[in-house]
Amino acid sequence: MAEHDLSYKDRGSVLNRVYPLVKLVWVFLIAVGLFLFTRPLSGMVVFLFVLFLALIPGKMRPGEILKSGLIVFGLGFLLMIFHFLIDPGETVWSFGFLQVSDYGLQQGPVFFFRLSGVVLASFILIWTTDTRDLMQSLVKAGMPYRYAYTIFLALRFLPLIQREVESVKAAHAIRGRAAGTTLKHRIILWQRYVFTILINGLRKAENTADALECRAFGYAPERTYVKRIAFRKRDMVLILFTLLLEAGLIAGERLF
Amino acid sequence: MGIYTVFNVVIVVILGLVARFADKKVVDRERGGYSTRNLVVAAVLAAIAGVINTGMGNLWYLANTSLGPLGGALIQGMFMWAYILAVFMVRKPGVALAFGVIEAATEVLLGNAAGIGTLGWGISQGLAIEIIILLCAYSRFGLLTAIMAGMASSQFGTLWSSLFYGWDPAYSRDVWIAVPINMVSGAVFSGALGYFLATKVAKTGLVRSAE
Repeated sequence: MAEHDLSYKDRGSVLNRVYPLVKLVWVFLIAVGLFLFTRPLSGMVVFLFVLFLALIPGKMRPGEILKSGLIVFGLGFLLMIFHFLIDPGETVWSFGFLQVSDYGLQQGPVFFFRLSGVVLASFILIWTTDTRDLMQSLVKAGMPYRYAYTIFLALRFLPLIQREVESVKAAHAIRGRAAGTTLKHRIILWQRYVFTILINGLRKAENTADALECRAFGYAPERTYVKRIAFRKRDMVLILFTLLLEAGLIAGERLF
Repeated sequence: MGIYTVFNVVIVVILGLVARFADKKVVDRERGGYSTRNLVVAAVLAAIAGVINTGMGNLWYLANTSLGPLGGALIQGMFMWAYILAVFMVRKPGVALAFGVIEAATEVLLGNAAGIGTLGWGISQGLAIEIIILLCAYSRFGLLTAIMAGMASSQFGTLWSSLFYGWDPAYSRDVWIAVPINMVSGAVFSGALGYFLATKVAKTGLVRSAE
């Protein structure tokens, strides 16, 4: 699979070295914080904090962040406009049937920062974490390795499935059934693609399962790994700082 | 939000009971824990569904964020066909919920436009299907059960959408108007489509898990 903008990038950054499970917990903390905030300022502060982490400790380029986040920021903007128009409250501006309320003006940015912040934090996890390491950290946290391996396997199969899509397309094209004209024709083609990919994928899955069992996968209570990862206490700084920041913002919302 | 949550739970239970007493297609319940084959089949299905749903998701997010609950209702049910298929291939307790989590995690790592928020839909939709098949004692897998599961998951998933996008059912009438549309969408695009795919896969005789 060709490397795209939303894939793991090993740049030797500070966030590359943070323990994967710590980053996963951090993403959840960011999400919880953004759900608890009721004012736009708090959401903006957390969003800027996440952006800072992506740029400096994450060593991501602004262009990469913009390219990957463009759809998300666009959706966040649409959501903000929707809240401007739909939320109840005193009308502050109206144009025909469109009415913007004071409550909508406050809530719109809250939801923009919620969506953008949650997704950008998730992107940081993708950019800075090798999926294999993430699975290993989940196993170390007590998750049975057979289940953790399932998620890893799903991702391992992605490039195979994408190659399968290309093969099926080419096979159809050779038989004169390439992307055609009408919508109906395209739907029929899509059905054929999906069904063929589904059958081939499932057959591969069963063969893989047989191969895994032949190698005694699941027999031993623990499994070994080529690359070992280790938790360091200093990784907790990320979580502690985020907790302090969010607690401070929530307290600020309540007090002022 | 409380009333909307209770309303959704009641809908899921009613649909589950309808499936329990009206679906006549009784099959043997699979026993034992998850085998390696069960896990790998679920993983590959999750990967296929993850790719398709991530692409479809962008269309759904656009409709939802710009038009609200009614915007995405028509295609709300297009994401759970693979859950139904997974349930038909691995007839064991917890499979719908586990599949929801795996599929959603795959989408998160693929760069879904809702980020880690995608897990909310994976859990809520998977949980709804799990309740339906639990009420059917994991032994009814006919078209009716599939349709009820599709309807339930499509509607139950809106709980998370309401929370994530801030549609408060207390003042947003659209959330309530969208209920029947969500359910029809789920019945057709998840329930019927998932069942159709499952029977087609079984008919080929090429996949052992579907026999």
